[in-house]
Amino acid sequence: MTTSEERNAICDAVRGLMQDRSSETAVRSTMETPQGYDPALWAQLVELGIVGLLIDPEYGGTGLGPLELELVMEETGAALLCSPLLSSGVLAASLLSACGEKNAQARYLPGIAAGTTIATVALTGDAGTWTPEGVTVDARSANGGALLNGVASYVTHGQIANLLLIVAKTGSGLGIFEVDANASGLTRSALPSFDRTLRLARLEFANTPARQVGQMGWPAVQEALDVALVALAGEQAGGGRRIFEMTVEYAKTRIQFGRPIGGFQALKHMAADLMIEVESSTSAARHAAEQLAEKTNQAEEAVSLAAFACAEAYSKVAATAIQMHGGIAFTWEHPAHLYLRRARAYAQLFGSPSLYRERYLTQLGA
Amino acid sequence: MADIEETNKADAALRTEVRAWLDANWDGTLQPDQDKWNLSAATKAWTAKVLDAGWAVPTWPKDWFGRALSAEQADIIAEEFARVGAPGARQDKSNLAANTMLAFGGEALKRQMIPGLLKREIVQCLLYSEPAAGSDLAGVRTRAERDGEDYIINGQKVWTSGAAHADYGMLLARTDWDVPKHKGVTFFFFPMKQPGVEVRPLRQITDESHFNEVFITNARVPAANIMGGLNNGWRVLQTALAYERATMGDRPRGARISATSDDLIALARHYGRLEDTALRQDLAAVLSLRKLNALNNARAQANLEQGTSSSVMSLGKLAMSRILHEEARVRTAIVGAESLLEGPDHPFGDDANFLAFNAYFTSIGGGTDQIQRNIISERVLNLPKEIEVDRNVPFRQVRSG
Repeated sequence: MTTSEERNAICDAVRGLMQDRSSETAVRSTMETPQGYDPALWAQLVELGIVGLLIDPEYGGTGLGPLELELVMEETGAALLCSPLLSSGVLAASLLSACGEKNAQARYLPGIAAGTTIATVALTGDAGTWTPEGVTVDARSANGGALLNGVASYVTHGQIANLLLIVAKTGSGLGIFEVDANASGLTRSALPSFDRTLRLARLEFANTPARQVGQMGWPAVQEALDVALVALAGEQAGGGRRIFEMTVEYAKTRIQFGRPIGGFQALKHMAADLMIEVESSTSAARHAAEQLAEKTNQAEEAVSLAAFACAEAYSKVAATAIQMHGGIAFTWEHPAHLYLRRARAYAQLFGSPSLYRERYLTQLGA
Repeated sequence: MADIEETNKADAALRTEVRAWLDANWDGTLQPDQDKWNLSAATKAWTAKVLDAGWAVPTWPKDWFGRALSAEQADIIAEEFARVGAPGARQDKSNLAANTMLAFGGEALKRQMIPGLLKREIVQCLLYSEPAAGSDLAGVRTRAERDGEDYIINGQKVWTSGAAHADYGMLLARTDWDVPKHKGVTFFFFPMKQPGVEVRPLRQITDESHFNEVFITNARVPAANIMGGLNNGWRVLQTALAYERATMGDRPRGARISATSDDLIALARHYGRLEDTALRQDLAAVLSLRKLNALNNARAQANLEQGTSSSVMSLGKLAMSRILHEEARVRTAIVGAESLLEGPDHPFGDDANFLAFNAYFTSIGGGTDQIQRNIISERVLNLPKEIEVDRNVPFRQVRSG
């Protein structure tokens, strides 16, 4: 467990790196590249221990948990970092840990921590539900291994990953399989992502050879998804706060009718309402991280709350930010739309707000 | 590390001391008061006992019934009192009049009033708003004119709870008409039980009467009862209002008839509506608002304890007013046609209507949502102030109506 001073130091380091290497200019240039991330910046994230943040030191990781992860993601989210951190260091690493299979962990976690393996998880079909019912890959056993058939979609960084973890239906429930990036019968197509800072792919399997990872099924996926949702909530809270601050600053300097537009109640009241969203989203993300870190019996409830509250807050803040800026934010050159794209993408990724509202209510006993 | 252990040791000792005192003195037989403006002799006796023991205002100086403890340590005392359900502790957080008096009263006035305020023997009310000074509170027109050692007061106040029971009112009155509005008002600790003070109950939209109008005609208050100095009333008022707003974001009033009305899941279950997927979405959304507000408050509290101030605190009342209006909307949707009816035979209909109407208590009282948004945007976000046409004009020349 880190002290708050240690956590502050980690965040300061990440914030500094984001200022240096993930400026708006850098983000705009990286998001147009085919691979969608900056390998030099990725190496620096590895060096800081961020890519291996969740991974056990036994496998070359930093050995920290959701609490530190969430704070780091507030910084990366604020800077709209383009990277496979969420896919590889968070979702895939968590899934491998949740599987509990030592062999697979020893085989892959060191590479993920070192940034040389970029891993991702394919867990939903074309319907994009991120639920057990949404899995549309079938596995059957063959020659001591398995063959996969079907489709997985919305796979984050699926086009560039060199390790693919696939959730597939077996005769006895859902299982987790590893597939080599160059496996036969695997077709990977990049999807046109509306949020250009994010990479998505669709994977088709035709008798693709695979190896089952442990005996855990959906519970391990859900465990990994919960960690990823906390990371996502951190990015949402951080992104929302950044675009909100930019908007308040603009309102102080933009002059119309002979005075700063931030002096008009029409805008001041919008800003006050957004501040509630921004603060609530930070509280929800940090609360979920704490509950998950301490493995309390309220962890699932807290993660569900963060999942829909942070998603909707970010969308509302980013959307209202454009309205408050006026015409300037309707241009491609202004960064506000980058935040709204990110907000809208993250509100669907890993499950919609309505999915998590329903899960929250169930956990409240209804 | 040594410091942390030392603090932990001191905290543990304090907790043991409070627990032992409660074990020896609290028997749990004290009945809660039905009328908060008319406390029982038993409540007053208990409150005095808590004060003598040093638990009433633990963060206050030792000369003034306190123990000069940190807020964190004082919370330990509050926790132990809450654990056994004993009232009376931590008035340094809740007693608006006593806190304002400690900060702004003169020595003699403090000596005269603070013991009675803390023992709850002196009942006080607030004389701020007027028919022509609501959101624009600095525009009060109640006059205070010097007459020997006294001031003579004339005017009309409104939205005063407990006026009929009060011994004193915290009165905002105009003492100088030739300066701009904020600079000519003074805060008085005004005796209510005298000729020239007439109290008339107001009937609210909830059909209840918790507030009064107070008509003041040639009533007197000693000059020694001025708090915070002549024409410095606006500053004193800010402190008093901050206490009021902090408590309004905290624990709003719940249902009038059935506790089930406060539990939206239980209510939806009662009406067999829990399978309705649209309602479930609405329920989750509205329940999350209260939880998020609690998380914000907890984070603000944690920041305060670490010594960093928290702007999140100022959001509480605005957030709460949205929560109450949204809950009222969903509650009414659950109850449906029964909200056509009222009275004890239709508890959920009655509660749904009452809570929908009473939500305005929070969204208007203590500063409307719109005033709160101005405060947040100006004082927290540092956006420019709205142009105030009466800011630098002598109050006598300010337009009214």
